[in-house]
Amino acid sequence: MSKPTLLLIDDEERIVRSLRMLFFSGYNVHTTTDPQEAIRILREERVHVIVSDQRMPVMQGSELLGIARDISPATMRILLTGYSDLDASIASVNEGEVFRYLLKPWDAMEVKKVVAEAAAIAEASFDVQSHTNTQSVVERKKPRVLIMDQDETTAKTVHDTLGDRCEIVWASDAQHAMEELAKQDVSVVVSDLVLGETNVGYILKTIKQINPQTQCIVVTSFNDTSRLIELINQAQITRFLPKPVSKGVLARNLESMLERFHILHRQPALQNRQTVAPISDPKEKIQAGNFIGLLGRLRARIGA
Amino acid sequence: MRQADHRDKDIFSLINPIDAISPECPLEEVYELFFKPQYSKLLSLPIVENGRPIGVISRYRFMEIFLKRYARELYGKHPIREFINGAPLLVELDQPLSMAAQHVTANMQFPLTEDFIVTRRGRYLGVGFVMDLLKAMETQMRANTEALEQANQQLKSSQIALVQSEKMASLGQMVAGIAHEINTPLGYVQNNVTMGQELFQQIRVMIAEYEALVDNLLDEQASEVVIAAQMQQIAGMRADVNAQEMLGEMHGLMDDSMYGISQISELVLNLKNFSRMDAAATEAVSLNDCIESALNIGRNILKHKVEVIKELGELPPITCAPSQFNQVFLNLFTNAAHAMQEQGTLHIESWAADDAVHIRVTDNGKGIPPENLGRIFDPFFTTKPVGEGTGLGLAITHQIIQKHGGQIRVDSRIGEGTCFLITLPCASPVSSTAPRQPAMLEAAA
Repeated sequence: MSKPTLLLIDDEERIVRSLRMLFFSGYNVHTTTDPQEAIRILREERVHVIVSDQRMPVMQGSELLGIARDISPATMRILLTGYSDLDASIASVNEGEVFRYLLKPWDAMEVKKVVAEAAAIAEASFDVQSHTNTQSVVERKKPRVLIMDQDETTAKTVHDTLGDRCEIVWASDAQHAMEELAKQDVSVVVSDLVLGETNVGYILKTIKQINPQTQCIVVTSFNDTSRLIELINQAQITRFLPKPVSKGVLARNLESMLERFHILHRQPALQNRQTVAPISDPKEKIQAGNFIGLLGRLRARIGA
Repeated sequence: MRQADHRDKDIFSLINPIDAISPECPLEEVYELFFKPQYSKLLSLPIVENGRPIGVISRYRFMEIFLKRYARELYGKHPIREFINGAPLLVELDQPLSMAAQHVTANMQFPLTEDFIVTRRGRYLGVGFVMDLLKAMETQMRANTEALEQANQQLKSSQIALVQSEKMASLGQMVAGIAHEINTPLGYVQNNVTMGQELFQQIRVMIAEYEALVDNLLDEQASEVVIAAQMQQIAGMRADVNAQEMLGEMHGLMDDSMYGISQISELVLNLKNFSRMDAAATEAVSLNDCIESALNIGRNILKHKVEVIKELGELPPITCAPSQFNQVFLNLFTNAAHAMQEQGTLHIESWAADDAVHIRVTDNGKGIPPENLGRIFDPFFTTKPVGEGTGLGLAITHQIIQKHGGQIRVDSRIGEGTCFLITLPCASPVSSTAPRQPAMLEAAA
């Protein structure tokens, strides 16, 4: 098997020199300080993984990764940045749809591990692309949408947008949400980060472990960059919409996430593209463990 | 009967319920009343007809009457009506103390010979002493003054808190910027060192192998088979790791790392210079140094967006608080960067003329609308979204410059840009005992 191809972009050439050295033995490495050059390489070559800085002259990393998504959807996108501002991290979710948001200074072993994981996933994605599955899935069960938000306007927008096309469940507390998730798999989750007093980050982080197809839209007025970065890496949330969110924006994103769900449903091989990193927070780890335990018990009871 | 310590004294509390005297009461009888112990403090007695006060008769008046010979015999049986002052000092009950006091002081006679009469809707209630009224007034005013003083103190401390929060806000922004600046070199330095360690380990193993081989080659007893195996082992290693090439690469990365470390040191030094803030109050410095310092600190905000053109002339040193001027310039530079939608130019000029130092900061950003131009130095005026600006940046800038005896002026055109001109006298009047916290309200005035 030939070496996977890695594309590294940073406006500081010392960064790319350093990273090249880290990867050159295992990968076919391209480096550049110019986003335009990066776009050219993406067009001309099959790139498994692209690792980009966020703050660059001419173009932000999230924007470049958004373009990369259009040119080469199978390429795995990673952001490596020393600047963790909220706008950048939101853009990296919504535009760049990044696999990981990594911070400088990085841990060499960790970055190596993440890139290796991403390269393997990309390889599988390229395979899926070349063996296009022509059999369309006829059976289309009504998708299920779970709203985890006390805000009535969110629930109303979801109802207005999806109407009868989906089964819509509205949970306004964590317990209810977990019970609904246990009953049956969910296609799309629209969630705030806090329900009443409860921080529901751990639920979002666990959802992908229960059902990797589930697409997660976060709508919240809560804005903490480091929490968001955690949610990118550990929950692979696919949209982050700051409240107040306009009806049109939420509706548009609901549609595209529903579509994304269908694609993953048809092509389970692509699910790995949203593989989550392990939960890092010790408290959330325990909460997630309890949730999975509860889930097992509830499902056993429902099944019985 | 009278409580002097009550704060919200009203007129009611000043009333002495003295029995009213009929106008028909003979002079003699009225005179006797003044000798009653309970009337000892009264200057005058109220004369009331049908519940309404019609006058007063004072001790002083009696003195005048009895100065006449045989007055008592002549007038003793006359009704008091004939002798009263028919224009007594009347005070209606339902009015603030201050208004009553104003009325009484405006109308009272000197020397003070009469008390005032308190009425409710014109009807007699009792007698009040002018001195009591004035005392009550004084107490009230003292209380008011205290309240004012307290309010003033509160205002002052909230001002200080606000100035502090603006400082914290810009500090937060600055720290985030600096963190990024440091994280980039830190990123590659750390990565390079990690890889260096690994390579070091690999090469140590290789050298051990080479040494073992050399030992065996020098040892005549050594078996050919062992040597052949060792040589094969080394050949394998050489195929895996091109040591020379790796060392060459690593050499370059070490140079990079040294550069990165110098970058980090420089940033830390800048930060240290910048935050001399508040430490040494005043120092003689060239404002060009403050400009450079602010440019260094703001580099992260300016770097990708702003082309900086400097025309810094020779400046005489100015005695000032350099940290405060760092803040002034950082504020102007970052405002300029924020005013630029895309790329822009920041033109910084300094020169000395007419015993003053002049600094001009010009940007080609979006400009300030004329209706806002007069308000930009006002505290709390901001056009940034809630939470992004405190609206104190330019107010503090203005304050600092004013405190140093200088001036800041602004000119702006929509779509063309904004220009700030700072003028500071060379012999700055700032004293080392100047308060460290600028008083905000002065800037607003």
